[in-house]
Amino acid sequence: MAPGTFLRGFVALVAILLSASSVAAAETPKRGGVLRVGNLGEPPALDAHWTTASITETLTNHVYEGLYSLDASNRPTPMLAESHTVSKDGLTYTFKLRQGIKFHNGKEMTSEDVVPSLARWGKQSIYGKALFAQVADWRAVDTYTVEMKLKEKSAIVLISLAVPNNFGAIYPKEIAEKFPPEVKATEWVGTGPFKLAEWKPDQYIRMVRFDEYRSRNEQPNGYGGGKTAWLDEIRWIPVPEVATRVAQVETGELEFADDLNLDAYERLKKNPNARTIISKPYYWLVAVFNKKEGLMTNAKLRQAWQAAIDIEPIMKNVAGGHAEFYRMDSSLAPVEIAAWHTKLAGLPWNEHNREKARRLMKEAGYKSEPIRFMTTQEYKWMYDFALLTKQQLEDVGFTIDLQVVDWATLVKRRNNPKEYDAFTTGIGAAYDPTHHVYLTASWPGWTTDEDIGRLQAELARETDPKKRMALWEMQTRQFYEKVPVIRYGDLFGLRAMRTSMKGFNEKTERIRFYNVWLDK
Amino acid sequence: MTAYLIRRILALVPVLAVVVSVAFLLIHLIPGDPVSVMLGPDATPAQIEAARQALGLDRPLPEQLLKFYARVLRGDLGRSYFLDRPVTQALLERAEPTLVLTLSALLVAIVIGVPSGIVAAAQPGSLWDRTLMLAALLGVCVPGFWLSLNFIYLFAVRLGWLPAAGYASIFVDPVAALRYMVLPAVSLGFSQSALIARISRSCMLEALQQDYIRTARAKGLSHATVTWVHAFRNALVPVVTVIGITMAILIGGAVVTEIVFNIPGLGRLIISAVLRRDYPVVQGVILVTATAYVLINLGVDMLYVFIDPRIRYE
Repeated sequence: MAPGTFLRGFVALVAILLSASSVAAAETPKRGGVLRVGNLGEPPALDAHWTTASITETLTNHVYEGLYSLDASNRPTPMLAESHTVSKDGLTYTFKLRQGIKFHNGKEMTSEDVVPSLARWGKQSIYGKALFAQVADWRAVDTYTVEMKLKEKSAIVLISLAVPNNFGAIYPKEIAEKFPPEVKATEWVGTGPFKLAEWKPDQYIRMVRFDEYRSRNEQPNGYGGGKTAWLDEIRWIPVPEVATRVAQVETGELEFADDLNLDAYERLKKNPNARTIISKPYYWLVAVFNKKEGLMTNAKLRQAWQAAIDIEPIMKNVAGGHAEFYRMDSSLAPVEIAAWHTKLAGLPWNEHNREKARRLMKEAGYKSEPIRFMTTQEYKWMYDFALLTKQQLEDVGFTIDLQVVDWATLVKRRNNPKEYDAFTTGIGAAYDPTHHVYLTASWPGWTTDEDIGRLQAELARETDPKKRMALWEMQTRQFYEKVPVIRYGDLFGLRAMRTSMKGFNEKTERIRFYNVWLDK
Repeated sequence: MTAYLIRRILALVPVLAVVVSVAFLLIHLIPGDPVSVMLGPDATPAQIEAARQALGLDRPLPEQLLKFYARVLRGDLGRSYFLDRPVTQALLERAEPTLVLTLSALLVAIVIGVPSGIVAAAQPGSLWDRTLMLAALLGVCVPGFWLSLNFIYLFAVRLGWLPAAGYASIFVDPVAALRYMVLPAVSLGFSQSALIARISRSCMLEALQQDYIRTARAKGLSHATVTWVHAFRNALVPVVTVIGITMAILIGGAVVTEIVFNIPGLGRLIISAVLRRDYPVVQGVILVTATAYVLINLGVDMLYVFIDPRIRYE
């Protein structure tokens, strides 16, 4: 080694150490301040068991906690649970609870609260129902131990307790027992790092630091691990107009805003006080077929749709021309859910093969009957991809009757098999193969295919991760053969925050403000 | 006069009954249902059905309508599905922002509209006249939405003089309230001033051509006295009508302004209630707005008596 090289190396090392220490000095969290967050609108409820709405998911995860949470790789990690053991036959799960955890009302959390909370969740939440369908007995063993006995071996116990959406939040016994599962709870007491202080609809929701919060000792990890409420208060302000949310981040009236329009990307990037965040995963775009009644019950016709479309131009257009905001991928789980992301070759995805499409249409006996395709302008991306799909399909000879309705109409109509042939929506992150709703018979579109159903049932039973992955790959191949829905590409979302906001985890699907602090 | 007033107030009842029934039927006839919206995109039909029963939405429509009438007669507008509070409370919470916005926008509209109309009418065909009427034309044509967003971009984002959006109560923080209200009041008032300006101009023109104006001039009265005292008062009746209509429009029609400037008023409430199919709230807002509309019209009719002593109500 030449002496010059050594010297340069030494200088570089010193420089790195110096810059690292100065970064560390600048990044010491400060307590205090009010964080103002621009929301899309009002949550329908602050009862985590009651609704799957994502705004409720985001808000309630600051107030409540479940037995488990998800780590950075989206695997279950304990939260209110200390540990768990599984019996040899795999049928009994015993959970030890953490001790000394206080609810916001000052009461200690014990098995007395956990049992009725999860029983309520098991009757109302889609994840809870799936889990409790397999539960034979659910009871408290002692103050800090609960036990779940299963009817058969299950792969989904921990993941179901860990999902953040429609989640198994632990409420005090009094609240869990006061509100029947189908009635939304209107008293909000949890164990989370923030407690609800005030809710003025259309004005704000105020959450303040819970001073008696006892954090886990681990480092923050995904949604889980240690949580510190540095902020005095989070003020969630509903700002339904997206252009206003953008302007308020620019002026500093908001520290954070979610779900921004991609048109604002360039403008926000130029603002020295704002930082743009591309949120992944967001949704993969999907056209869901009605497989109970009508034209699309014909699998050949669904395959024709799948063969016809050219996905990249559609995605590029929906993403406003920004390559950063979409990703071409055929896996049913997005890259971010690493455990379930598949890399299968030879799938009939994005073929844009017009000959094949025309042949399949002929085999299906399709005679240009209009196909009712429902979409909404309330979510611009849905309308955009539906419109481009219509053009591409009509180029190969489909007749598409695009029905543009408001979102409330769409979510109502999609439950009635007589009213549509296909509808648009987005598929968010599903943390387990069993959570892909479009593969189930109970969700709109009604996937009742026997092979798909059998594989889903096996996936719910099989506990060996390797075997599960093999099953999931088989399921993915089934999916592309049976085509219950059309998988387009991944779309990403746009968020923005003020640079005075520190410690924000940009990698999680939904926003969390514990461990966040303000530098001003 | 008193008898007339009583008759007019009694006539309110059938008007409101029709409005309420039409509102009820319209919102129930459009597809969609509040529960599907509230339970989120992944909810299953079984979950939705259970929650519909819990809210009584599975009952036949006529039964729901009758129950609704019965409640309204007792002064109870029902309970919001989404907001979990009585509709009357939701309305009261949002009345102040809408009233403050309406009155300030109306003030802006009058301050811009009436003088422009009069100045334009005083010298018809002049450069002043043409400039002002062009501005009025623009005011009518430019969408309020576009104007509002540009105001925000210029005065809040670029210049930083005023906040982009939000609301503060005048009873809590008058200075902040004023700062928040400037942009919405001006952008809403500007577009409304256009109609007032054009009506003021044409009424003034008509009044200025009357014989008594010529007489007044012949008497040697000054130009200002002729314009402001003799012509203006006589031109006022249609102008007051238009101002009254404008106020009624503003109460129900400040929707876009409330959304863009994020003002928690009745306009924003009704839009979100329609999107969420929060039936009791939609019906409540329509009932209140319709009542206000009819009462404002009545008030305007009463004002005529004071403006023009020749008008009598029997």
